[in-house]
Amino acid sequence: MATPRTPAAPPSLWDPVVRITHWGIAISVLANAALDEGGSLLHVSLGWMVMALLVLRLVWGVLGPGEARFSAFPPDPVAALRHLGRLASGRAVRHYPSHNPAGAMMAYAFWACLALVTVTGLVMTSGATPMQVAAEKAAVASGDWSALIKESEGESSDEDQGLRHTAEEVHEVVANLLLILAALHVAGVFVETRAMRRNLVAPMVLGQRRK
Amino acid sequence: MSASPDIQSAGRRQTAALSVFLVVQTLGTVFFVGDVIGDLREDPTSVHFIFEAVVTAALVLGILFGTFALRRTIELLRAQEQALAVARGALSDVIDGQFQAWALTPAERDVGFLALKGLDVAEIAELRGAAQGTVRAQLTRIYSKAGVSGRAQFAAFFVEDLLGAGVPEPAEAAQ
Repeated sequence: MATPRTPAAPPSLWDPVVRITHWGIAISVLANAALDEGGSLLHVSLGWMVMALLVLRLVWGVLGPGEARFSAFPPDPVAALRHLGRLASGRAVRHYPSHNPAGAMMAYAFWACLALVTVTGLVMTSGATPMQVAAEKAAVASGDWSALIKESEGESSDEDQGLRHTAEEVHEVVANLLLILAALHVAGVFVETRAMRRNLVAPMVLGQRRK
Repeated sequence: MSASPDIQSAGRRQTAALSVFLVVQTLGTVFFVGDVIGDLREDPTSVHFIFEAVVTAALVLGILFGTFALRRTIELLRAQEQALAVARGALSDVIDGQFQAWALTPAERDVGFLALKGLDVAEIAELRGAAQGTVRAQLTRIYSKAGVSGRAQFAAFFVEDLLGAGVPEPAEAAQ
């Protein structure tokens, strides 16, 4: 393994896994929140995709290169508040080798919400894969309603229904929370870019354009 | 200097391709794991389930190894970039130091540096907005201060330090 370096600034270009998971999750969440219908095949498929990307990003947080690893940006609310305080009072902010402490807290909040939203989604669909959802919908479309009966009768204990109802509530609340976090995230990137006079967006896209 | 962006972009393309592959692999595996868990609730003793579980375990292992390999590739690439930057910085330090030792004027330093980069008199004149005669005169002064016969020896002065082995004696070479 190469000797770990401790650069004074975040990478000028995040590695491809970080970038793909970032934009994949961003697009999927926005699409599921705004465009498609809850419970539709597309919604469930995108949900599974988010789960896969989240799993990959979490594995990458253990096995990935330096700045992508959790150890590079441990959750530290006190440091995050200090960082925000410095930003607010216009004092010079430190540069960090990975996410700054506030950005790190944002990332962990995102991951917790994403995990919660996918788990509750799985409870609501009783863990049906997109293939099963598609098969079910095709069966219903062809006039075979037994798929629905099995669904509602086979496991319709009160406890089960209650759990599913709770999951639905949580799913909706956390999904809205995700959108609020996303707005805060964009605002944070904007503020940080101005305060540090450093483009934070380019490293997440294609890096600085070379001559 | 012209070769390094190619190496970098080739490395970037390679890691990007590996990453895309890893993402697709993870998508497939997560769907498979979901399917296996679904089957587990139905009939965990069926041949179908056992077979699928083994395949899924192999996929998960594949992702872990793929992740590790990708990390190694990215770190290797960075180490190479860093080594190249260090070598580049070291060479320009050597050149600066030597120019100072020869007491070149700032203008002569610029001209000398451009000459080392392989630009000819006309190109240097155009870059600096000077007459070709001026550049030629500056080059001559540089060569005389450095005690070299011309451009070839001037460039060799710096390359020679980088080549570790000495030049074999004619007699040795003949033996």
